[in-house]
Amino acid sequence: MDIVEFREDVWGREVLLGVSWDLLWVVLTLSAVAIMVHIVVMTFLKSPPRPSAAGLHMERHAAVDRGFHWIMAVSVFVLLFTGVLPVVGVDFSWLTIHWVAGLILTAAVVFHTLRALFWQKPREMWVGADDFREPFDAGTKPGKYSLAQKGMHHAMTALVLLVIGTGLVLFAMIDTPWWNRSNALDESTLGWIFLLHGASTLGLIGLVALHVYFALRPEKRFYTRSMISGWISEDELRANHDPARWSPERSA
Amino acid sequence: MSYLHIGKNFTPPDIHGKVTGKARYAEDYSVDGMVYARLYTSPMPHARVVEIDADEALAMEGVFGILTAEDVYPTEAPAPTLLTNEPVYVGDPIFAIAAIDEKTAEDALKKVRVKLEPLPFSVDPVTSLKPDGPSARLEGNIYPREMRSLHWSAEDVERFVTGREPTGPAPSEWSYGDLEAGFDNAALILEESFVTTGYAHMSMEPRSVLSYWQNGRCHVHGSTQSQSFVVPFLARMLGIEQKDLVFVAEYCGGGFGSKISAYPVLAIPGYFSKKLGRPVMLRITREEEYYVGSARVGFQGWIKAGFTREGRVSAVDLYIVQDLGSQQAGGDASSAGGAISILYQPDAMRLRDVPVLTNTTPRGPQRGPGQNQIAAIFEPMMDKAARELGLDPVAIRRLNAPDSSATLNANQGPVTSAYMKEALDRGAELFGWSERIKKSGQRNGSKVTGIGVGQGYHSAGANGFDGLVRITPDGRIHLHSGVGNLGTYSYAATTRAAAEALKCNWENCIVHHGSTEENLPWSSYQAGSNTTFTHTRANYVAAEDAIRKMKLIAAQVLGGTPDQYDIADERVFDIGNAARSLTYGEVAAKAVELGGEFSGETWPEDIHEVTQRAVQGIAGTGLIGVAKDNLPVRGTVPGLTVGFIEIELDLETGKHEIVDFLAVAECGTVLHPLGLAGQLRGGAVWGFGMAGLERHVYDPQNGLPANVGYYQTRPPTYLDIPAHMEWSAVDIADPDNPVGSRGVGEPAMGSATAALMCALSDALGGHLFNRTPVTPDVVVNHVSGQGQSHGPLATNTF
Amino acid sequence: MSAYDVMPDMELFQPVTVEDAAALAERLGSRGWVLAGGQDTYGWLKDRAKHPKAMVDLSSIDVLNGIEETDGGGVKIGAMTTLREVSRDQLIRARYGLLAAAAARVASPQIRNQGTLGGNVSQDTRCWYYRRGLSCYRAGGNICYADSPEGMNREHAIFGASRCVAVSPSDTATALVALDATMVIQNTRGVHRVAAGDFFVGPAVNITRMTVLRPGDILTAIELPADWAHAEYYFEKVADRNVWDFALVSIAAAFRTENGTIRDARLVCGAVSCVPRRLTSVERAVIGKPRNDSTGEAVAALASEGARPLNYNHFKAPLMDNLVRRALRA
Ligand SMILES: Cc1cc2nc3c(=O)[nH]c(=O)nc-3n(C[C@H](O)[C@H](O)[C@H](O)COP(=O)(O)OP(=O)(O)OC[C@H]3O[C@@H](n4cnc5c(N)ncnc54)[C@H](O)[C@@H]3O)c2cc1C
Ligand code: SF4
Repeated sequence: MDIVEFREDVWGREVLLGVSWDLLWVVLTLSAVAIMVHIVVMTFLKSPPRPSAAGLHMERHAAVDRGFHWIMAVSVFVLLFTGVLPVVGVDFSWLTIHWVAGLILTAAVVFHTLRALFWQKPREMWVGADDFREPFDAGTKPGKYSLAQKGMHHAMTALVLLVIGTGLVLFAMIDTPWWNRSNALDESTLGWIFLLHGASTLGLIGLVALHVYFALRPEKRFYTRSMISGWISEDELRANHDPARWSPERSA
Repeated sequence: MSYLHIGKNFTPPDIHGKVTGKARYAEDYSVDGMVYARLYTSPMPHARVVEIDADEALAMEGVFGILTAEDVYPTEAPAPTLLTNEPVYVGDPIFAIAAIDEKTAEDALKKVRVKLEPLPFSVDPVTSLKPDGPSARLEGNIYPREMRSLHWSAEDVERFVTGREPTGPAPSEWSYGDLEAGFDNAALILEESFVTTGYAHMSMEPRSVLSYWQNGRCHVHGSTQSQSFVVPFLARMLGIEQKDLVFVAEYCGGGFGSKISAYPVLAIPGYFSKKLGRPVMLRITREEEYYVGSARVGFQGWIKAGFTREGRVSAVDLYIVQDLGSQQAGGDASSAGGAISILYQPDAMRLRDVPVLTNTTPRGPQRGPGQNQIAAIFEPMMDKAARELGLDPVAIRRLNAPDSSATLNANQGPVTSAYMKEALDRGAELFGWSERIKKSGQRNGSKVTGIGVGQGYHSAGANGFDGLVRITPDGRIHLHSGVGNLGTYSYAATTRAAAEALKCNWENCIVHHGSTEENLPWSSYQAGSNTTFTHTRANYVAAEDAIRKMKLIAAQVLGGTPDQYDIADERVFDIGNAARSLTYGEVAAKAVELGGEFSGETWPEDIHEVTQRAVQGIAGTGLIGVAKDNLPVRGTVPGLTVGFIEIELDLETGKHEIVDFLAVAECGTVLHPLGLAGQLRGGAVWGFGMAGLERHVYDPQNGLPANVGYYQTRPPTYLDIPAHMEWSAVDIADPDNPVGSRGVGEPAMGSATAALMCALSDALGGHLFNRTPVTPDVVVNHVSGQGQSHGPLATNTF
Repeated sequence: MSAYDVMPDMELFQPVTVEDAAALAERLGSRGWVLAGGQDTYGWLKDRAKHPKAMVDLSSIDVLNGIEETDGGGVKIGAMTTLREVSRDQLIRARYGLLAAAAARVASPQIRNQGTLGGNVSQDTRCWYYRRGLSCYRAGGNICYADSPEGMNREHAIFGASRCVAVSPSDTATALVALDATMVIQNTRGVHRVAAGDFFVGPAVNITRMTVLRPGDILTAIELPADWAHAEYYFEKVADRNVWDFALVSIAAAFRTENGTIRDARLVCGAVSCVPRRLTSVERAVIGKPRNDSTGEAVAALASEGARPLNYNHFKAPLMDNLVRRALRA
C-alpha cells in the first residue's frame, strides 16, 4: 500500500501525483473502528440521567447560523461524494457539481468566518486553560462549546480551509465559464496541491464520520436538534454547561 | 545522335532482389555471436546529463554492456554527436545498451536511472532571436559557419513577424547588381512574408547497422546513399585508417539527403563492437528515425520582388531566417537565393540569411534543400505578378527563363547549358495549357478548378571523380561503380556511359557496387542530383583509358600503331583490315601478361586513394581502365524541371484532388528513361506532400515532437496522388557531358510543389498562403473567413 | 525515456468461449488486456506505454465472428468481425450502407483486414501526448498537455471537454450511433445491452476510459435495429489523407423521408468530441423540411453552435457546418 503516488512528468522525471486512494479504505476502517470502540466503551459506562427537553427553550444557534451550517454540511457531502465516488469506480459527470459545491462551500465559509469574527463572540470557540479541566473534572462544565466540540470545529476548520485553498488552486487549472485553464503551476507543484487536496479530503472523511456519529449519539442528539430548531432546554443547558461561562437568551 | 545504351531502358541488377525480397539490407545480415543494441534518447529538448546509473541494467541476464559519450568520437558543437552528454533535442541519443536480443535491451533501458538537468530551449527561430530569447545551445543560437549568439531588438522581431521589411541584423548576405535601380525600374513590386515547414526525411528503412571487427579491420554493414564517398568520413568517425574499413551498403531503403555520407548511428556499432568484443547490430526504431533521421531546414522569411511592365523580374530582395534544428546545417538559404537567380534571371538580387539553431530534430539537406522551399513560395508570387500585369503564367515564366547564356548565384557565373524555354513550351503543348487555363476558377458544386505551373532547379553535376573498368580474359566487362545504390539506379545507369564508349553488350557487363570489397573507385556523394553528370563522365574517361590500352595492346600484338585501330562488337580491329582483330577477352589476357598499367600494377598519379586501393585489389585480373575525370566544365550544371497541374479544390472540406499532372525534365540527354520517370513521378509525390500534407509539429512548452510516426507526419499515400502522371523531357545534349546528360532528381520535386501551390492559389482566386503545407484546415479557415489558428510566421506548428 | 519498439513479455490466454474470456478478464482486472485484431493494442504495447501483464485473445471464440439477420429484421454483427467483412458484406451494404461506408474508410486496407468492429469502437484516443506515453489525465495523471496555453491540439475536441480534450477516433462509432445500434456486453454477471449512444463516455464521466467497458467486460456483438435499415444515408470523413488517416471531422447521417420531407433524422459527427456527437439541434430543425441545399444552408450553423475551439482547431467548427450542408444536399 502506498501513501502517496508518483507519476512521470513531461520529461520523464518522477513527480508527485497525489495521495494514494488506498488510504481511503484505511481512513474508513479507522473511523469505523474508532466509532465501534466508542460505542462499546459508552455501553459499559454508566450514563448519567438524560436531561429533559421540556421547559424553557434557550437559544443555541441563530437561524442564519443553522442555515449556514447545513449549507456547509450539504456542500461538504456533495464535495466528498463527487470527489470520491469516481475514485471508487462510480462513473458520473462529477466535476461541475464538485466545483459548484466547492464555490458554495467557499462562500459559506467566508460568510461564516466574517460573521463569527465580527458579529458573534469568537471567544466562545477559543480553547482556554479551563477547557482542559473538563475531561478530568466532572465539576467543570464548558461554556457554549465543550472542548470536544471546539476540537472538532477547529480540526474541521483547518481541513476545510486546506481543501478549499487547494481546491481553488485546482479550480484555476480547469476550464470554467470564466477562464481557460492555465499551465501556471509546474508539474511537481501541481502534485503537491493534489496531495494536500487529497490528504485534507481523507481527513475530512474521517472527521465527518465522527461528527455524524456524535451527532447521532443519544446523549448528544439534543445538540443536533439545536442545529435544526435552534434551542436547547434549560435542563439540558444546566446539565451540560456552566451558566457562568455561557448564559444564552431565551429562544423566541 | 544514336546510342547503343544511352537513352535506353535496362534492368538494373538490384531490381531482381528488390522484387523477390532477396535483397539484403543491413539488417538482413547476421554473424555469429551478434548482440543487439538499443538507444536511450533524451526526453528533454536541451539538458545536461548529470548521472547515468546503469548498475541494475548491467546486472541483468543477457545484458552485455553500455556505450556512452565517453566511449566515442568527440565532436565540437554544433557538429552531430554519436552519443552526447548535452542532448540538444528530444530524441538525441545519450547512450546505448547491448543485449542478447532487442527485448532484453529494451528491458534494460528501463532499468537505467538517468539524471538530467534541463537547460533553456527553443523550438522556434524567431523566439530564439528575441532580446532575451533562449539559445538552443550553450555556445549560442546561430550558426553562420561558427557558433555565435544573436538577438534582435523587440522592434526587429515585431517587424519581422508582422511581415514588414526585416531590420534585424543578418549574419550572412550576398548580392549582385543594383538592387535599388532594379526596384526603381519595376512597374510592380510584390512583398510577401512566408514560412515553410522543415519536415522529416522519413526514410522507409530506419537506420540499421551491423559492425564487427576481424583481423584489425572494422566491418560495417550500413544504409547510405553514397558508397565510396562514405569511406574516408566513416573511417575518421571510427578513428581508423581507410584501409581498415570494410563498408557494405548494397541497398539503401531511402535516404533523401539524410544518409548522404557517414552519419552518427553508422559508427555507434563499430565502437560498441570494439568495446564488447562481439558483433553489434543496431536497428533504430521508426520513432528514432524521426529523431536522428533529420529533417528539412525550415524557412521564415520575407521577399520583395520587382517586375517590369513586360513581366521581367528586375530585382529580388530575399531575407530568410533558417531553422537549422539542433545541429550543424544550413546551405538552404543560399541555395534558395541561387534558385531564384537562375530561374528568373533577375537583374539585381540580394540575399540575407539568419541561420538559427533550435532544439528540434537535426536538419540536413533534403531533396532540393532551399530550392524547393523557395519554389513553393516564389512561384505563386510569379502568378500574382502575372495576374497584376495581365500576363499568362507560362508566358511570364518563359520571359524570365534561363537559356544557355544564363548566369546565376552571387558571382553570376555561367551554366553548361540550359533550355528552360523549350521545357515550358514542351509542357504547355503536352498539357494543353492554353485550353486548360480557361478552366481556372470553374465551379462544380463545392469544387473549384485550379491550374498551376511550377518550376524547379538544382545544380546537377560535379566533376573530378574517378572511373574504373576492367575487362577480364573471359571477355566480361566489369564496371566498378563507387556510386551508392540510393534507389535511383544511377549506380548502374552511369556505368552505361562506359559500356557505350566500349561499344559492348550490356549482357556481358557486370556491375560491381555496394561494398569496399568489390574494389570501387572514388566517387562523388549521391546527392545534389549530381551523379548522372558526374559519373557518366568518370565512367566515360575510364572506358577511354581502357580503349587506349586496348589499342596499344592490339598494335603490339597485331602490329602497326594504336591509332590504326578501332573497337566494335567487343573486338579491337584494324580500321584498314577488320579481319585483323582481337576479342576483348584476348586483349585482357594479353594485358595480364603485360602487367604494368595494362593490368593495374601501376595507375595514374591523380587518382584518389580509394581508387588506388581498388586498382590494387583487382590488379592482374584483366585489362584495367582507370582515370580521373579531368574533362572541362564551363559552369554550373543546371537540372531543370517544370510541372503542370490541374486540381479540384473542395471549398467545403479544404481538400484538393489532383486531376492531372505532367512533369517535363530539362536534363540534357535522357540517360535512363525509366529511371528519369521514377525521379519525376517520385519527386512529384514528394512535392505534393510538401505542398499539401507533410507536417512537423513541436510543442513549444516542452519541446516534444508530435510527429514520430508515419500516420502523424502524413506523407502522401496512393490515394492522395493521381493514378497516372505523364512526363516528358527536352532531351537536348549538354555540351559538357560526353553523353550529353545532366542530373535532375531534386528539381522534380520542387516543380511539383510549386505547381500545386500555384494551383491552390489559383483555385482561390489568387490568394497566397505563403506557407507550406496548405492542409485542409488552412483552406477551411481561409474560406470561412475566420482567420488562421496559427500565428504569423509560426513554424513547427503544422 | 526511449523509443521502444519491442513488446515486453506477457502472458497470453486464448479462450474459446465468451464465458471463459469474461472470467479471465474479470480475474486479471486491470492487469489484463482484451485482444481483438491488435491494431490499437500493438502500438501501445510495442511503445511500452501501457503495461498489461496478460492478454486475453478473443480470436478463437467462434461465436464472436460473423454477421447474421435477427428476428425483427435487424442485423447482429459479432464483435470480432473484421472491418473488411463489415464493409463488404452484402447484407450490411444492402440494409445499412452507412456502416459499410464508414467501415470502408477506417485506416487502410491492411488494418481493415485485421482490425475488428468491436476493436474499432473500443479503441483508445489518438491524442499524441497520450500516445507518447505521457502521464496525462487520461493516463491517470493530473494534467492535460493538449489543452494548455500553447498546446498543439489541431486534432482535438471542440465540444465536451472536461480537463481532457481528446476525441473519439472511431469511424464506425458515428455510424453506429446514427443507426441507433445496441452494444451487447457480457461479463461474469451476465449479458447486458447498451445503446450505442450511451456506450461511449466522455472525460466528464470517466477520464481514463472511452467506453462503458470495464475490466472484465467483453463486447460480444453489435445489433442494428430494423428501424434504421434502408434509410437514406450520408457518410463523409475529412482527413488530411485519403487513406491511413484519422478523421479531422466526420459525419454519419441517416434520414427517413416521406413525400419529400424529412420525417426523422439522426446526424452524428466524429472527431469533434470525446464521444460521437449527436447533432440534436440539427436533427430537430430538419424534421418536416425537404432534404436539399436550402435546408442545409438554413440549419448548418446549428451544428457547431456552442463549440469551444482550442489553439489550433478552429477549423473544425466550419467544417462541421459544411459536412451538415453536404449531408443534407446529397
Ligand atoms: C495507422 C493506423 C491508422 C488508423 N486509422 C484509423 C481510422 O482512420 N479510423 C478508425 O476508426 N480507426 C483507425 N485506426 C484504429 C484501428 O483501425 C482500430 O483500432 C481497429 O479497428 C481496432 O480493432 P482491433 O480489432 O485491431 O482492436 P484491438 O487493438 O485488438 O483492440 C482495441 C481495444 O479494444 C478492446 N477490445 C477489442 N475488442 C474488444 C471486445 N470484443 N470486447 C472488449 N474490448 C475489446 C481492446 O482491449 C483494446 O483496448 C488506425 C490504427 C492505426 C494503427
Ligand atoms: S487531451 Fe486527454 S489524452 Fe490528450 S493530453 Fe489531455 S488529458 Fe491526455
